[in-house]
Amino acid sequence: MSNGDSTVPLLAARDLTKAHGRTEALRGASVELRAGEILAVTGPSGSGKSTLLHCLAGIVSPDAGSVTYDGQRLDELPEKRLSELRRTDFGVVFQFGQLIPELTALDNVALPLMLAGAPRKDAQAAAGEWLERFGVRGQEALRPGELSGGQAQRAALARALVTGPKVVFADEPTGALDSLATEQVMTSLVHTAREAGAAVLLITHDAQVAAYADREVRLSDGAVLPAGVTA
Amino acid sequence: MRAELRLAWLLTRGSDRREWWRVALTAVGAALATGIGVTIVALTSLDGYYSVSVGSGLLDSTSDRRNVSIALGLLLIPVLGFVGQCARIGAVHRDRRLAALRLAGAAPWQVRRIAALESGLACLAGSMPATVTAVPVLLHAWSHPSPGAWAGFALMAVAVPVLGAAASALSLRRVVASPLGRVRRAGRAWAPGRLFRTVTWLLAATALFIVVAPVFSDRFTFDFGPVTVFVLALLISFTAVWLTGSSSRQLGEGLAARTRRPDVLIAAERLRDDPWAAARTHAGVLLVTVAGSGFMGVRQILLAELHARSREGSLAADLSYYTTGLDLAAAAILFGLALVLTALAVGTAESLATRRRGLAAQVAAGVPQAVLARALLLETALPLAPAAAVAGVGGFAIGTWYASLTSDVTVAPVPYVPLLVPLLVYAACLLAAACSLPLLRRSVRPAELRYA
Amino acid sequence: MIAMSTRHILLGLLASGPSHGYDLKRRHDERFPQARPLAYGQVYTTLQRLVRDGLAEVEGTDSDGGPERTTYRSTDDGARELAKWAGEIAPPAPFVTNEIFAKVVVSILSGGDADAYLAAQRAAHMQRMRELTAVKTAPGADLATVLSTDYALNHLDADLRWMTTTAARLTTLTAEVDAA
Repeated sequence: MSNGDSTVPLLAARDLTKAHGRTEALRGASVELRAGEILAVTGPSGSGKSTLLHCLAGIVSPDAGSVTYDGQRLDELPEKRLSELRRTDFGVVFQFGQLIPELTALDNVALPLMLAGAPRKDAQAAAGEWLERFGVRGQEALRPGELSGGQAQRAALARALVTGPKVVFADEPTGALDSLATEQVMTSLVHTAREAGAAVLLITHDAQVAAYADREVRLSDGAVLPAGVTA
Repeated sequence: MRAELRLAWLLTRGSDRREWWRVALTAVGAALATGIGVTIVALTSLDGYYSVSVGSGLLDSTSDRRNVSIALGLLLIPVLGFVGQCARIGAVHRDRRLAALRLAGAAPWQVRRIAALESGLACLAGSMPATVTAVPVLLHAWSHPSPGAWAGFALMAVAVPVLGAAASALSLRRVVASPLGRVRRAGRAWAPGRLFRTVTWLLAATALFIVVAPVFSDRFTFDFGPVTVFVLALLISFTAVWLTGSSSRQLGEGLAARTRRPDVLIAAERLRDDPWAAARTHAGVLLVTVAGSGFMGVRQILLAELHARSREGSLAADLSYYTTGLDLAAAAILFGLALVLTALAVGTAESLATRRRGLAAQVAAGVPQAVLARALLLETALPLAPAAAVAGVGGFAIGTWYASLTSDVTVAPVPYVPLLVPLLVYAACLLAAACSLPLLRRSVRPAELRYA
Repeated sequence: MIAMSTRHILLGLLASGPSHGYDLKRRHDERFPQARPLAYGQVYTTLQRLVRDGLAEVEGTDSDGGPERTTYRSTDDGARELAKWAGEIAPPAPFVTNEIFAKVVVSILSGGDADAYLAAQRAAHMQRMRELTAVKTAPGADLATVLSTDYALNHLDADLRWMTTTAARLTTLTAEVDAA
C-alpha cells in the first residue's frame, strides 16, 4: 500500500542519542521513512518517541548520530536553513497548543503562507480550501478557544499541510480526542497526505491509531525494537 | 516587512483582556517618557538668560535649566522600570505564542520583528498623544520655539517607540531560539550575575576614591559633591537589592523549617524557591527609598541654613527660588515613588495571574483564602524589611553627610523624622501589594481548574 | 464468543418484507460481512423451526422457470418476539474462552516461549487491524460495514492491550525469578 517509488529513504536517522539533563531519552535509535509512506512510531510513555520526532524534524539536534533528509545532513545545517526547511518541506502537528489563540482559524492556517511572503488574500484563499478539505469550513472565523478539540486538531492539520510539505510529523495528534473525533482526524490526515503524496511520521500509543499507518516501528527505552520482540 | 506588520496588528487586535492591560500600561509609560523627553528638549534648547514665567526663577539661567534637565532625566529611571515591569505582563503566554509562531515556520528574525513591532505599536499609542498634548502646553509658555526645538520634539515622539521596539527585540534573544519555547526548559530564574557584582564593586571603588582622594591631593575638591552622592546612592541601592535577594533565601529556609503557621510556610517556600523574584520587583522601590531618605536629610539641613541666611539677609536670590527648587525635587521623588508603587502592584498582580491554576487547586483542596492572602502579603513584607531599613538608613546618612559638608551651620539635634521615610515606603508597598488581593478572589474560582 | 442468534437475525431480515431462503442467506452475508457465512441447510432448518413456532409463515411458492422457491414472511408473534429480543440486554461475557489467552497460559505453565508467541500474534493482529482500518475508511463504505469493522477493531485492540501488558508482566516475572 506504500506509495514509495524508490528504495532510498526520504528521511533517515542513524544511531540517534539524546539526553535531557541526566535522563537519556534516545539510545542509538535508527529509523527510516520512505517518500509517501505513513509510518507509526509506538511505544509506552517515556520511550523517547517525542524526542525522536523532534530530532527527525530538525527541532532539536541530537547529541550523537545523524539525521539525513533528501541527501542532506540535518544536524549539520545552520538554524536559518533549518527554519526554512521546516517552513517549506515539513509540517508539524502536536497534541495541543499549536494554534495561536489570538488569530482566527483561517488566519492560523494561512499563517505559514503569510510568513513566506504571500499576500494575505491569496494565503486566506488557499487556507480556506484546505479547511474545506478537512471539513471545518464553517468555523473559519472562530478563534481556537471557540473550536472543539476535534475541529482545532483538524485546523492544525490544515495548517501543517497548507505549504505542501513532503513530510508531516504528527505527535499524538488525537491524544486528547474521543474515538469519533479521532476517526475523523485520522481519516482526513491519511487521505489528504496520500493525495498530496506526503510522507507521515505518526507518533501514538494507541494501536487503533497506529492501524492507519502502512508500517509500524516500536520504541522501548530510547531504542527501536527489532521486529520479533515485544518488550 | 508588511507581512510581519500585518501579523503584529492581527495578534494585537485578537488579544484578550490581559494583553490590553499590557498595551495600555506600556502606552502610559511611553507617554510619560515622551513627556519628560519633550520637556528636556524644550529646556535645553533655550539659550542664555530668560525670564520664564513659570518656575519662580528656577528656569532662568542656563546652568539652572541644565540641572533641572538632569533631574528630569533621572526621573526617567523609574519610568523605564515601570515600562519594564509592564512588559512582563503575560510573559509566559507571550513566550508560548512566539513558540507557536516558530512551529508554524517563522524564522527567528521574523519572530523578533513581530514581537518588536507589537511593543513598538504600544509605545507609539502612548508617545503620539503625549507629544500632541505637550506641544500646545509648551507653546503656551514659550511663543517662538526654535526649529531645533521642533526637530527635538519630533525626534522624541519617534525615538520612544523605536527604543521600545529595540529593547523588546533584544530581550527576546534567548526565547526565540527554540520552536519548543521556554516551556520545555527548566525555569532558571534571574540571579545577579557577574555584571551586577562587577558594577557594585566598581561603584564601591569609585566611592572610596572620591572620599579618600582629597586627602592626598588638592586638586579634588568637593566639586565632586553631586557625583559622589549619585555614586553612593547607587551603591546603597545595589547593596539593598542584593540584600533583598540573599535575605529572601535565608529567611525562606529558616522560616520554612521552623514555622507552624501555614501562611508563613507558603510564603517562606516561595521565597526559598525564587529568592531573587523580590529583588527584581523591589529594585525600583529601594532606589526611590534611598533617594527619598537622602533628600529628606539634605532638605532639613538646607532649610535650616536657608532660614538662617535669610534672617541675616545674605541670600543670593529670593527665598522662594530655593524653596521652589526643594519642592520640585520633592514632587519629582513622590512621582517616582508613585510609579514604582504602581509597578509593584502590577508585578504582584501578574505573579498571581500566572499562578492561577495552582492557587485554584489549593482553594479547591481546602486551603482558606485568608491564608493565601496573608501568604501573598508576607511574600512582599518579609524580604523588603531589611532592604528598606538599609536603604533608608543609608540614604539618610548620605544626605546628612553631604549637607553637613556643604553648609557651615551646625545642625540642631539630628532629626529622626527622615527615618520615617523607609517606614512610610514600606507601608505603601504593603498597600500596593494588597491592591491585588481582589484579583486573588477572582482567580481562585473553580472554573480555573477546567483548562487543564 | 457468544453465538449470534440466527433465528432472530432471520426474523429481523424478514421484517422488511417477505423473502425466500436463498435471498435471506445472501442478505445475511451482505449485512454481516465479518461473520461466518450462513449455510443453506442452516437457513432452511431455521425457517422451518420458525414456522413451527408460529413466528413465521409461508407466503407462497413460485417457480420462475427454475427450482421451487418458497417465500416466507414474519407473523405478528414473530414481530413481537423480535422486538423483545432486540430490547433485552446481552449478559457481559462471564467466561474467558479466548484462544490467545489459553495459548499464553499454557506456554507459561509448561515453560514454553510465551514471548515469541506474543510477538508473532501481535504482528498478526496489527496486520489485520491495518486491513480493517483501510476497509473502514474507504470512501463509500456503508454504515453496516463501518459498524462491524469498528467492532472488530475495538476487540482486536483489547486483545492487543492485554498482550502488551502480559508481555510487560512476563518481563517483570522473569526478572523476579532470575533474581531469586
